[in-house]
Amino acid sequence: MDDHFAFSIQTGSAAPIYRQLVEHVRRRVASGQIKAGDEIPSVRELALQLAVHPMTISKAYSLLEAEGLLERRRGLAMRVAPQHQRAQPAASRLELLRPALVRAAAEARQLQLPKPTVMKLFSDILDEDESR
Amino acid sequence: MNPHLLATTSPTAELADVTLAYTGGAAVLQGLDWQLLPGQVVGLLGRNGAGKTTLLETLLGLREPQAGSVQIFGQPAARPDDAVRARIGYVPQQSDLFDSFTATQLLAYFRSFYPRWNETKAQGLLSRWDINPHQRIAKLSGGQQQRLSIIRALAHEPDLLVLDEPVASLDPAGRRDFLGELVSQVLERGTTVVFSTHILSDLERVAFHMAFMSGGRIALQAPLDELLEEVRQFSGSAAEVQALLQRLGAHSLKRTSLPAGRERVLARLPPGTRLPPGTPAEVVTLEDLFMELT
Repeated sequence: MDDHFAFSIQTGSAAPIYRQLVEHVRRRVASGQIKAGDEIPSVRELALQLAVHPMTISKAYSLLEAEGLLERRRGLAMRVAPQHQRAQPAASRLELLRPALVRAAAEARQLQLPKPTVMKLFSDILDEDESR
Repeated sequence: MNPHLLATTSPTAELADVTLAYTGGAAVLQGLDWQLLPGQVVGLLGRNGAGKTTLLETLLGLREPQAGSVQIFGQPAARPDDAVRARIGYVPQQSDLFDSFTATQLLAYFRSFYPRWNETKAQGLLSRWDINPHQRIAKLSGGQQQRLSIIRALAHEPDLLVLDEPVASLDPAGRRDFLGELVSQVLERGTTVVFSTHILSDLERVAFHMAFMSGGRIALQAPLDELLEEVRQFSGSAAEVQALLQRLGAHSLKRTSLPAGRERVLARLPPGTRLPPGTPAEVVTLEDLFMELT
């Protein structure tokens, strides 16, 4: 299997693994890194690759199918649904980021950090990733 | 999807109102009820000394409880017939392998007991897990002995696999490989697995259900996904927290009193609850659940 999908999961998180997988696929489709017609790994392949219970993987795939991101084909690999031809506009990609930032903002308020300090940290983190 | 995983017929194992005390000691299992359904992978969580090993040994019929019933594949666990015995694989905490045997001799010995034996799998795992088949077991490292014990339990393709701290002396790469092997058993055979370990990250991956043991019982068993989505930690003045929980229809799991009339409550919300913004509720991780529920 190629590394096209670059699935990875984080244990010890408050987000269930199936949810992490769903969000991963949403982001990669939104950014155009994977698009219409791309075949996704089978439940079996991904369960073995990540050493994760197969029901966790199929739960994620079923949700993605219900959202219209993936399509199931009898006897064939699931693939990204035809309407996802290209990257979504920046505005809707930004919306995908909102929940994470809302959480971060709530924590920043709990920590009583001033806004410029928080913004600087976020900006530094973005730069760090870019230089990798 | 694997058809094995959907076939929920009669339970693989069922314990009802089981009580067990060691001579002169307090009860380790106290009116314990527990059910394992075919194809479930259940992580068994509990503090040291909570009785996990006793529970697993009782499940396997190796210990006879003073009260209650233990059924495995529909038969009394204390007197399983050969057919039932052949369907069980067990990796004990301390594997008691025969020191003077080589791995090859050991596997040949066990092979004679089982009607089904996957020699290709056994040989494949021996070479993949770096065990010299001709070396005496006494000369193998702790990790190698543990892996050999796992191979012994997998080779006869059990329908129920009971693992008591199977990975304690495996390094992260060895553990990952072992977890992959477990997933492959589940995919190929729909094996029911019970897995006790303190390495929570391993359980998070492979165990779909978590069973929390406390006070001699299974205090809670549920799919981890649901627990992470439905369990929240509330804190505030006792009266406020109570009113809030009641309004939300939440079921409280653990209540801790704090100074100044405050309390912290771990509670499970009805599925699909959306909390209004600003609700003083924190999300939890598996580690939080372990700390509060065991």
